[in-house]
Amino acid sequence: MRARRTAFLWLCIAPAVVLFVIFMAIPTGNVFRLSLFQRSTFQPEETFVGLQNFRTLLQDKIFIRSMQNTLLLIVAVTLFTMGGALIFAGILTGQKLRGQNFFRVVFYIPNILSVVVISGIFSAIYDVDKGLLNSILQLFGHEGILWKGEQYVIASLIIAMVWQALGYYMVMYMAAMAAVPKSLYESAALDGAGGITQFFKITVPLIWTNIRTTLTFFIISTINMAFLFVSAMTGGGPNNASNVTLLYMYNQKNLGGGYGYAMAIGVVLFLVSFGLSALVNRFTRRETPQY
Amino acid sequence: MKLYKLFVYTALIALTVVILVPVMWVVMASVKETAEHYGNPWALPTHIHWQNFVNAWTKANMGGYMLHSVAVTALALGILLVVALPAAYCLARFHFVGRKFLNICFMAGLFINVNYIVVPIYLMLSDGDKWLRSWLGSSFLLNNHLVVALVYAATALPFTIYLLTGYFSTLPHDFEEAAYIDGAGYGRTMVQILFPMAKPAIITVILFNFLSFWNEYIIIKTLVTDREQWTLPAGLLNLMQAQQSAAEYGSMYAGLVMVMVPVLVLYICVQKNLTEGMTVGGLKG
Amino acid sequence: MKRIGSLLLVCALVIGLFTGCRSNESKSGALKVAAIETAYGAQMWQEVCKAFTEQTGIEVELTTDKNLEDVISGPMQNGEYPDVVHLATGRPAGLTEQMIKQKALYPLDKVLESTVPGENKKVSEKIAGGFTDTSLTNPYGDGKTYLAPMFYSPCGLFYNQKLFTEKGWTVPTTWEEMWELGDKAKAEGIALFTYPTAGYFDAFFFALMYSIGGAAFFDKATHYAEGIWDSAEAKTVFSILDKLASYTHEKTPAQANNQDFTKNQLMVMQNEALFMPNGTWIVGEMAQAESTLTNEFAWGMTALPAVNSNGAGYSFCWFEQAWIPAGAESKEAAEQFIAFLYSDKACEIFANTPIQSESGTTVKSNAIQPVLGIADKLEGNNKLFFSIYDNGAKAAMGGFAAFKEIPGIDISTVFFQPIDSLVAGTLTIEEYVTNIKTASDQMRANLLQ
Repeated sequence: MRARRTAFLWLCIAPAVVLFVIFMAIPTGNVFRLSLFQRSTFQPEETFVGLQNFRTLLQDKIFIRSMQNTLLLIVAVTLFTMGGALIFAGILTGQKLRGQNFFRVVFYIPNILSVVVISGIFSAIYDVDKGLLNSILQLFGHEGILWKGEQYVIASLIIAMVWQALGYYMVMYMAAMAAVPKSLYESAALDGAGGITQFFKITVPLIWTNIRTTLTFFIISTINMAFLFVSAMTGGGPNNASNVTLLYMYNQKNLGGGYGYAMAIGVVLFLVSFGLSALVNRFTRRETPQY
Repeated sequence: MKLYKLFVYTALIALTVVILVPVMWVVMASVKETAEHYGNPWALPTHIHWQNFVNAWTKANMGGYMLHSVAVTALALGILLVVALPAAYCLARFHFVGRKFLNICFMAGLFINVNYIVVPIYLMLSDGDKWLRSWLGSSFLLNNHLVVALVYAATALPFTIYLLTGYFSTLPHDFEEAAYIDGAGYGRTMVQILFPMAKPAIITVILFNFLSFWNEYIIIKTLVTDREQWTLPAGLLNLMQAQQSAAEYGSMYAGLVMVMVPVLVLYICVQKNLTEGMTVGGLKG
Repeated sequence: MKRIGSLLLVCALVIGLFTGCRSNESKSGALKVAAIETAYGAQMWQEVCKAFTEQTGIEVELTTDKNLEDVISGPMQNGEYPDVVHLATGRPAGLTEQMIKQKALYPLDKVLESTVPGENKKVSEKIAGGFTDTSLTNPYGDGKTYLAPMFYSPCGLFYNQKLFTEKGWTVPTTWEEMWELGDKAKAEGIALFTYPTAGYFDAFFFALMYSIGGAAFFDKATHYAEGIWDSAEAKTVFSILDKLASYTHEKTPAQANNQDFTKNQLMVMQNEALFMPNGTWIVGEMAQAESTLTNEFAWGMTALPAVNSNGAGYSFCWFEQAWIPAGAESKEAAEQFIAFLYSDKACEIFANTPIQSESGTTVKSNAIQPVLGIADKLEGNNKLFFSIYDNGAKAAMGGFAAFKEIPGIDISTVFFQPIDSLVAGTLTIEEYVTNIKTASDQMRANLLQ
């Protein structure tokens, strides 16, 4: 029986471990290893260069710009997405509304679309003369905005990314909020607490664990989504104004930096995203109230 | 209070419009003639130009891309389920040496997005191909849909296992004990009793991963160098950005609709399951 | 780690051999030709390969693709080389540049001395003058040709002829006239200049350097000579660029990306901007848009204006390159193939193969080989474009010299992309020049010679 149990466990777990090791653990290890080497695109020879790649990185203005953009996107997209999702979820669960389910279904749609589709949509929305946004602005006598110009390109990306993510997190918070006992709201109402007070005093603290988890993982997700959006919408332009670190890493094989340099960028990105996740995780630690 | 409700509805309807209008716009654009795309993008089509879909399907190779999308997605989902389900089950319901370590490893995997490691995966496969050629005279790692499916499945493992383990550990232990007493082996107990019970979690897993596999375009573009073998999103992006060759907007938007419609239909059908599975979906990369 | 990875992979994928195997089994012995599919279409390559097989009896296996790099670079990194590659420099993926940098090309001197299959002239006697001694064909400056010149296409400033007739404007021949016209146009709400993406400045930049300092300056500048960007010629180059940026349509940089570049091209057609740098492919690329215009329109093309009335206008001659990878298997057949590309038969096919546009109309492929006397055989728009050199403009050819991989520095990010910022006003010309100087120092230090 003991032997059969062991055999069974091996059989069940080994395939997952093998796949995980080959396609996740080893490549991740290689990111760190290759960052210390120089390897050009068409010659597989690897030369050990120590920390040379990282020293070059510190001088690389495009890398610094791409990192700034990445961080800006993380902060802004997180703030708007999470804030918006919480508010809308609060509204939708807070009271009986007609068509609640309809709204929930619709708000989720952007999340299931491919970024390629979304970039096509936003190319038309951001059109300078006939785009949806500028048409509306002109209606109010405002001049059209160069959405993909240097000044606004990051804002444009933020809008597109929030548009894509908002519904997903909203639906998720709604699911969490549905689990909060109704009786709590009722007794709070008896004490004279209004909707907004209830939201901050009851809803948010009770779903804090959910908020915290989503926040932690949202950082990694945003780094990735920013890469997908930028590569489809602007290619990093104009003049790298919208370049993000993951795109810069991916493009190294065309930009002539070689794979070693690309992986050094990858290492920095790994450290930044781990670091930020850890920070967020640390600073959002709260006691979950008992009820 | 009335005023508040009015405000709430206005906000909700505004958001609905903001989401639905662009989506409808793509559908509308897909039946315009190519020439119309140079005009006002918000003008209605003069007539419904189905030819775009025919052109996209045949000339722009969307038919082929669609086929590859279906094949890769199905293959990846199949591999993922076969690998992840038993592993998650064991990790959730057996106590053995190394269990904690494995759980931590898979948890750590949640922090690794596949696009962070796509370059080293590519290098590994390319090196593997070189090595294979020197030994076997042929190579099969790059340009192989099975490998792409394996990469998809492998990189979806942490999320999937996390989600399934969570679900399995909530089920009571009595079921297995009863089955063992009836003389059922480990395998049969797992497949015939526990898996059916985990159906809601399995559906959630399938849905989330279907979406991410179907919409993926970076990995397929990197690991498959033969453009003919790409999937829909990758092929589309290529069509959208090709320079110095005649721009084919009609086929492009028809292609966008082809990528979008299957997920929309699936979503409408299963939206209940999807949104129910949401409490655990927060970890989606 | 690498080896273990490969090993594990192989173990896991033995099944893959039997089930999912999709390796490209090539016909053994056939000559492998890979050619980029551009606006010229892929049909002409099939025709040429057929004609080559008829002439020499050598079978050809042809690969064409719009993004050829994506298709061949993977196998090439694995040592699977095509025998002949037709792929120009200056593409975003820069595959040809990489091959040059890594000295992975096979020399073509034997090809130039060989006779064109089916004819009795040598290849070197057929190729038009100057085309085989540019830095694009002889990248190492050692007098040897490594890349065969293909499909030339004069680049210049494209404009709407009808608008000039309508307004009674003349096409400027000096920069002074250019600025005057710019002010006149501005009064009518038309910008003087736009560009599809910053990458299109390559041809513009080269022609500008030629027209200001001639071949001597061009040569020094493209080899990043010390102090070259402080010379009087360079100062003129930068001051013209700076002024041009101020005359550029403000929408341009916001649309200068892969997804929206056609909108910039459309601005010239819709009389929102007068000139843009482009190549002869623009006619086919924007053919669909032409039918939607509400204004009178016909393409015109002019050389870059001269610095002053004594100088000459220059038009950069864009040409593509075909090459043999050093790793190719059938080099002799590859040499024959390249020689054949200059035969009358091949030139005829490249120029006149009918291609289907999406709307169903048939147009000619119009790929023009750089052989002597070819302009006489052309008609229509093409006669206009390709006779630009007969009308007084001088040809500028060449490009930046290749250098070893330098992380964080490449030609486009240093020289062309910042023009987006010059136009937007977020970068001053002084900052632009300083960056070029710093980068040039590194490029010089890493020159491949």
